[in-house]
Amino acid sequence: MNILKLSLRNTSRNKQRAAVTILSMAFACSMMILFSSMMAGMVVGSERQVVEMNMGDIQIHPHGYLDDPDIYNRIHHSQAILTQLQNMGINASPRLYAFGLMATHATSSGASLRGIDLHREKRVTKLYQHVAKGSWLDEAKPKAVVLGKKMAATLGVDIGDELIFIGQSADGFMANDIFTVGGILKSVSDGIDRSGVFMLMPTFRTLMAIPEGVHEIILRKPNPHSDLSRLTEQIKQLVPQYEVKNWKQLMPVVARMLETADAQTMIMLTITYIAVASIILNAMLMTVFERMHEFGIMKAIGVRPWQIVQMIFAETIIQALIASAIALMLGWWVSDYFAVHGIDMSIIMDGSVSIGGLAFDPVWYTYITQGVLLTPIAFLIIIALLAVVYPAWKAAWVNPIDAIHYQ
Amino acid sequence: MRFYWILLGMMITTSAWAGDTRTSNILSEVDDLWRGKSSHAIATLNIQTQHYSRSMKLESWSKGKEKSLTKVLSPLREKGTMTLKSGNHIYTYLPKTDRTIRLSSGMMMSSWMGSHLTNDDLLKESRLEDDFDARISFEGERHGQDIIEFTLLPKEDAAVVWGKIVLEVEAKRHLPIKEVFYDEDMQVSRTFTFTGLKKLAGKIRPSVLHIAPADKPNEYTEFIFQELTLNIPISDSFFNKSALKRHQR
Repeated sequence: MNILKLSLRNTSRNKQRAAVTILSMAFACSMMILFSSMMAGMVVGSERQVVEMNMGDIQIHPHGYLDDPDIYNRIHHSQAILTQLQNMGINASPRLYAFGLMATHATSSGASLRGIDLHREKRVTKLYQHVAKGSWLDEAKPKAVVLGKKMAATLGVDIGDELIFIGQSADGFMANDIFTVGGILKSVSDGIDRSGVFMLMPTFRTLMAIPEGVHEIILRKPNPHSDLSRLTEQIKQLVPQYEVKNWKQLMPVVARMLETADAQTMIMLTITYIAVASIILNAMLMTVFERMHEFGIMKAIGVRPWQIVQMIFAETIIQALIASAIALMLGWWVSDYFAVHGIDMSIIMDGSVSIGGLAFDPVWYTYITQGVLLTPIAFLIIIALLAVVYPAWKAAWVNPIDAIHYQ
Repeated sequence: MRFYWILLGMMITTSAWAGDTRTSNILSEVDDLWRGKSSHAIATLNIQTQHYSRSMKLESWSKGKEKSLTKVLSPLREKGTMTLKSGNHIYTYLPKTDRTIRLSSGMMMSSWMGSHLTNDDLLKESRLEDDFDARISFEGERHGQDIIEFTLLPKEDAAVVWGKIVLEVEAKRHLPIKEVFYDEDMQVSRTFTFTGLKKLAGKIRPSVLHIAPADKPNEYTEFIFQELTLNIPISDSFFNKSALKRHQR
C-alpha cells in the first residue's frame, strides 16, 4: 500500500517527465491500434468483397461446368435443392450464365450474362447495395440490365442508354434483343467489372431459350461463425450428383492471401511493436537513471532492494495504464473514424487494384474488434514491464555511495 | 454464300502462290471454280448438334474476295438476319432489333448462325493464301479415284489456328473431294467433304459441303447449293454497311 502511494507521488512529482513518457507510450500504442484495425479491415473487406458481392460461401455446379461453362450443362431440379437448403435454414440463390456480345451502335464488348433470381439473390449477396449509378434490377423493368463498371466505360453507356445483345441461344438460334442500362455497379471483381451483365432470370430464360435448369446455386453460411469446410461436406452429401465447392476452393489465390494476411499482420505488428518497445525502453531508462541519486538515498536510509523494484514496477504500471487509457480513446476514435469514412488510397493506387482477379476498393476501411483494441494495449503493458526490468534491477542493487554521487 | 467462300479460301490460290506453277495452277483452278468476279447463290444450311437440329435457307451475294452478304430467307424467326463481310469486318443486321452491329474480336471464335463454322472462318478463309504454303503431297489412286493431294502448312509468322490443312482434289476435273483441318497439335479438328456433283453456273461442281467436327461425332453442318450464278453485275455499294437496312425489304 505504501509502495503504491509512494509510486503515485513519484509519478506526479515530476509531471513533465511523466507526461512525456505517458504520451509517447500512448501515441505509439494508438498507432498500433490504428494499424491493427487497418490490417483487420483489409482481411474483412476482402473476404466480404469475395463472399458478399459475388461468390457466396459455397457454390453448387453441375460436374464439369467450372472447367467448361457449357450452356447445356445445368442443374435440373434446382427447385428441390433450394427448398431443401431452405429447410436447413440456409439462404441460397440460383443463377444462369451465358456469353455473347453487348453492342451499342458504335462499339461492342464481350458480355458474360448473369440471370439472377431477384428475391433470393438479395438474401445471399449484397450486390444490390453495390450500385454506383442508377438502380438494381427491378421486376417492373424486365429489359433493364445492370453492367460492370469497366464494361459500361468500354461501351460508353450511361443510365437509360440502349444496348443490343447478340449471342447464341440454347436452341441454336441467334439470341438478340434490345436492353436498357438500368444500373452500373461499383468495382466488384475483374470479371464482373469487365464483362458482367446482370438481368432478371425470366428475361434471361426467354432470351437464351432456357426454360428450366440453372448453372449455379450459391449459398451462404446460416451464421457467420459456422465452419465453412464442415458445411461444404454437409452440402456435398446433400447433392452428391453435383460439384460442391466453397469460395476458398474456388478462389485459392485470394483465400491463401487472406490466410497469410494474418501472418503478415503479425510480422508487421511485431516490427511496429519493436519500434514502440525501444521508445518505451528509452523512456523508462531515462526515468530511472535520472533518479539514481534519489534511489541511493532511499537505499542509504534502509529501503530494501526488493521494495525499490516493486516501486519502480508500480510506477511503470501506473504510467502504462494511463497511457493505455489515452491510447484506447485516441486509437479507438481514429480507427472508428476511418471505419466509417475510409482511407482513400485512390491517389496512390490509381483507381482500383485487383489481386487474383478480385478488385479491391481503393477506399480502405478499418475494422475494429476486441483483439484490435486490446492486443496493442496488452503488448504495451508487457513491453513497459520488460523494459523496466534492467533499470529496476540496476537501481535496486546499486551501491548507495555510488548512487548518491551518481551524476 | 459461305459455302463457296469456304471453298475459295480452302482452295487457296492466285498467282501469288509461290513455288511450283502446277500446284498454283490447280489450286487456282479450284478457286476459280467457285469464285468468279461476283456471285449470287441460294443454299440450304442444315445444322445437327447434340442439342438441336435446324435448317435454314440462305441467299448470298459476293464480289471479289473481300465482300459478301448473306441473308436468311427462312425460318421465319430469323428471316432477314444478314451477315456482311466487308474487308476486315463482319457486320450483323438483326431484324428483331433493327440494328446493325459490327462483331468485335471477342465474338470471332463463336459460332456463325449456330453452325460449326466460326465468324473467324468467314473472315480468314479468303486469306489462306497469305497464311499458308502449299505443295502436292500425293498423286495417284486413292479410294478408286485418281486424286491429287495438297498439304498446306502455315507460314512461319502467320497467326492461324490450324497446324495443317490437307486437301484432296480429283486429278482429272480438279474438283475438291475432301479437306481436313488439323489443329496445332496436328490432331484432326474438322473435315470438309464435297459431294453432290451437279451442274451449277454452267459447269459440274460439288453442291454439298459437309462439315464434321472431329470431337463431336454426331454433329455436322451441311451447305447444299440450290442455285449459283457467277459474274453477275453488282456494285460495291451493295456491300455497304449502310445498305443493310435497304436489303431488308
